[in-house]
Amino acid sequence: MLAFLSQEMEKDPVKASVTRNVAQISAIKVFWLHIICCLGLGVAFWLAYNVYTINLVSNAVQALRLIWLVEAPIVILLYSLFRQNPDQCSYLKAVGRGILGLPVGALVNAFGAIVLGAPIGIQLKIDTQPFQFQLRITRPLLMIRYFSRSANWSLLMSLFTVVPAASVFGSSWADWHRIFAHIKPIGAVDYMICVPAFGAIIGAWFGAWPMPLDWERPWQEWPICVTYGAIAAYLAASAASFGFVFVHNRRQHIKRD
Amino acid sequence: MEREQKWRYVCPFFLLMILHIAGILFFTRGFLLTRTELPHFSHCDDVLDSPCFPPQSIQLNAIRDSHQKQKQQCWTKPAIDRLVIIVLDALRFDFVAPSTFFSEIFPDTKPWMDKLKVLQRIASTERFSSKIFKAIADPPTTSLQRLKGLTTGGLPTFIDVGNSFGAPAIVEDNLLHQLVQNGKKVLMMGDDTWLQLFPYHFQESHPFPSFNVKDLDTVDNGCIEHLLPSLFREDWDVLIAHFLGVDHAGHIFGVDSIPMVEKLEQYNGVLEKVIEVLKSQSGPGGIHENTMLLVMGDHAQTVNGDHGGGSPEEVETSIFAMTFQNASSVPSYLDTSFCQLDVDGEKMCISTIQHLDFAVTVSALLGIPFPFGSIGRVNPELYALGAGTLTMEDIIAEDSPRSEKWIRDYVNVLCINSWQVKRYIDVYSSSSVIGFSAGDMLHLANKYGQIEQNWFQDIHKILLSSSESCHTELSVLEEQINSYFGFLANIAELARSKWTEFDLKMMGTGFGFILFSLFVHVVAIKRVNKPYGDSQIEDYEISLELILGGIVVAIRAFSFLSNMEEGKVATFLLATTGLLNFRYSIIRRKMRREAVGFLLLVSVLRIIEFGISKQGAGFTFMDLNVWVILGIGKNHPFWFYAAETVPVLILILLLYLFYKYSAQGTSRWTVGIVISGTILSYMLLAIYWALESNLLTLDMMLKKFNRNIIAQIIYTIGFGLLAFVGLVQFLDKKKTVVCKESFLDKAVCILCVWSPTIILLLGKQGPLVALASIAGGWCLMRLQNLGNDDKHGISGVSTFHPLPVTQWNLLAVCLFFCTGHWCAFDGLRYGAAFVGSTACCMPISISARGEERDSLHKTISSIPILWIDNNHNIYLHDDMCYNSKAASNGMGIICSQVCI
Repeated sequence: MLAFLSQEMEKDPVKASVTRNVAQISAIKVFWLHIICCLGLGVAFWLAYNVYTINLVSNAVQALRLIWLVEAPIVILLYSLFRQNPDQCSYLKAVGRGILGLPVGALVNAFGAIVLGAPIGIQLKIDTQPFQFQLRITRPLLMIRYFSRSANWSLLMSLFTVVPAASVFGSSWADWHRIFAHIKPIGAVDYMICVPAFGAIIGAWFGAWPMPLDWERPWQEWPICVTYGAIAAYLAASAASFGFVFVHNRRQHIKRD
Repeated sequence: MEREQKWRYVCPFFLLMILHIAGILFFTRGFLLTRTELPHFSHCDDVLDSPCFPPQSIQLNAIRDSHQKQKQQCWTKPAIDRLVIIVLDALRFDFVAPSTFFSEIFPDTKPWMDKLKVLQRIASTERFSSKIFKAIADPPTTSLQRLKGLTTGGLPTFIDVGNSFGAPAIVEDNLLHQLVQNGKKVLMMGDDTWLQLFPYHFQESHPFPSFNVKDLDTVDNGCIEHLLPSLFREDWDVLIAHFLGVDHAGHIFGVDSIPMVEKLEQYNGVLEKVIEVLKSQSGPGGIHENTMLLVMGDHAQTVNGDHGGGSPEEVETSIFAMTFQNASSVPSYLDTSFCQLDVDGEKMCISTIQHLDFAVTVSALLGIPFPFGSIGRVNPELYALGAGTLTMEDIIAEDSPRSEKWIRDYVNVLCINSWQVKRYIDVYSSSSVIGFSAGDMLHLANKYGQIEQNWFQDIHKILLSSSESCHTELSVLEEQINSYFGFLANIAELARSKWTEFDLKMMGTGFGFILFSLFVHVVAIKRVNKPYGDSQIEDYEISLELILGGIVVAIRAFSFLSNMEEGKVATFLLATTGLLNFRYSIIRRKMRREAVGFLLLVSVLRIIEFGISKQGAGFTFMDLNVWVILGIGKNHPFWFYAAETVPVLILILLLYLFYKYSAQGTSRWTVGIVISGTILSYMLLAIYWALESNLLTLDMMLKKFNRNIIAQIIYTIGFGLLAFVGLVQFLDKKKTVVCKESFLDKAVCILCVWSPTIILLLGKQGPLVALASIAGGWCLMRLQNLGNDDKHGISGVSTFHPLPVTQWNLLAVCLFFCTGHWCAFDGLRYGAAFVGSTACCMPISISARGEERDSLHKTISSIPILWIDNNHNIYLHDDMCYNSKAASNGMGIICSQVCI
């Protein structure tokens, strides 16, 4: 599949470099990219359930780690194929940028999550009865648990949001600004990065809604429902992204005609 | 002209205020089920005021043995000498009753049924001395409220207005108080909720923590360990054993689970042993000759193990009562039982009892005064179980004189009962703020008058004549009993409607007022916007902002539909708007610092909020500080010093901010005065905290003396400055030219005047919160200009920005939660009421036992208590403190520290 995609890319190197901002990519390539990314997620879940017999609710940390470990090479390698200025920037460099973008994006996502209310290990388990609290025993445990959960979740979110942009745009501030601040994607690559990223963010935001409810279900804990929301919205946004690219290309085509 | 215009703008505020006050009054009148706790207690002599016979004077009491007559008799003749109460938390009715009773609901026998075999066996074989009751509890069906209801005989609401607002300890008259008052010794084991409710009543107690829901066995094993040996002892009159395992098993595993069945089987074994021991000692002259055993649930649970509400599953619990003498039979018109065949084909009868009746029935059985606030009636069937030294033949002969004597006795008990309930209702409606309605009271008075008249006319004669009575007399007695029942049922119904049902019409009216005030709001805003012209264009322009603000408000409003953690939702939404602002600031390429600063501020607020939220409730209450919460070991010296110094440092920072403002050269001299006054207050505040800290070791007396004076000086300065600012405002008729500057001056003045007092009351996290609110306000003011473009120039003061307004609102909510409040009555910071006042606080050590507890109880009841807080600290008047300290030190009670 990878070979097929790179062949496709190499067929038309001149055009890609010339039309820098309006990189023309066929909708079919976008389709394959999204399909592979989504399949990656599916494979990760399959591995988790059937091979390691863990799931997101009971073993959140391990499951999240597995998912991002499986998804990371897929996302980085695939999006690096669509790098800007392929002449000046080698494939390996784009991969490097993606790998670098992973922890940086995780930090950004973690910051956002903490601002919005992710627990950071200060939830004390003090019972409400006077005279007995088991403060010192529970706290370190909770802290570690939430820290590793947050870290793994941030890495996964980073794969959805920051890493594709890092692989494709590198440090081009203008592109980042266009995509993430103005939300004005032009061209298929922009759609391909922007729509799933915002999908994942919005999905995570909505996914946080059940957390403060008093249902006392295990999946209400951080970051389980947030992850579910993000993944579901990411899948939907991937489909939407393909649709956008399809329409966009069709319109470009008509214009050119 | 201008004055008129000014009033046009001020008017709506007054209108809104009136509307809000009316709306809130109406709503709370319907919603807050308040019940005033009366400080009255029943006494033995009170019964002489009643029209009924005190027990000594009735001749029919002669059936008692002569040695028992010499015992002190109080309201009723004691029918039992000792009482064993085994409370099984969350006991469902179908745990006790045979499964055949539920064949309609559950066609096949469920695993949890028929597990308490021993109770069923005894209830069917020893039909004359034991009985299973279906007990109906009143909501709220939580343990604490239920225990309160069971012992006071009232209907506890969630909000009982009384002396001890925060502490759960019962200050009303109750069964336990009456027991102690009348020289009965109470032994307690099991759930430590009892100790929270009755800290000083038990002769001996073996409490076990009830907090760990996952622990099924600690409480039960502790109970079992103490229960059986205690049964052989003679030094108690009432034994209470509270088992928690079933409740916990229900919470974790649900009712239909193996742990639940195991628990029930374990209880069956324990009960079997208990009954065996009691029986073996129940012979003539044995220590349990005249003992009653009650096995009961405080509430029931749903199949999922939940409880708290008023559904039949949660409300229908059970009481199993057993004596070791044969009881007297109940006339058929008093018999409420329904009979069915049990699993083994034996006939089994089950009666019904209200939890409301428990306290008064037990009081009547033990012969102690009925709790003052009880509104229950003496249940005939349970009372009859205890009231018997009758032999088998008496029962078989239906209309035998002894059974008849029981009826006479019961009529007298009911007379006392009705008189006591009537007295309570009268006292309640005359002394509480919201009493019963006059119409209801008149109706009850009429009814009671009629019954009383009957009593004097007929019953008196019948009861006094010791001769054998004829049939007509019996029917007169029956009539009298029925009218007592009617009267008591009336009162119970009235009380239920008053204390357990919301008044929907009132609530609706209040809600209507609030809705109308919203309409007034909108009109007022439109009116204010008009003179600034082109409001219409502006409306269209910021419609996106309006939609965003609307969505945020709507989400917050919908979050109230569920039992959410409000603070978390507010922070989440505030952070979301902050992120949107951040996006705007990046697009516009300005004020990025403010946007990031705002986000950081929100996360800091969150950390504070989580720390002080409800989870930390049992924790240091008064001098809570952020550093302890941040999770660093409390004992580490560095953090210890930081906790002491950081508030003062932040205070200095605040001081610097104010000073900088005043040094910026404002023209007005008033501002200068106000700010210098504030600076003085802040310095005093710093000294106040320094004195409080343990860094400086000062003499205790000196410390207390100085600190209260300092607090009072701060209050005085605050009020003085406030008066000064008000005066200047009135006298200063000069028209200020620059409107905006004068506005700013006034705002700073008011902030300065209030801040020291508020920070003092907030305690040590006060400066931090003050700084956070200033920083948050500054960020919001700056970011407010982000939304509208430069073309408007300076944004007018009164133009309408939906998003910043929403943010201000959310920030205020977050700050509310940051200051350690939460939306519940136990979230009120009671301690603040005592800052700077001459009160002292006495932490009562809960470990005081036995005699200590007795003498403590005496001490406590002899001194006026200001207030008892959640941590069992007792607050006393200053002059009382030293006396009681001397008294209490002798008892080994720690009264070491002056808390405030």
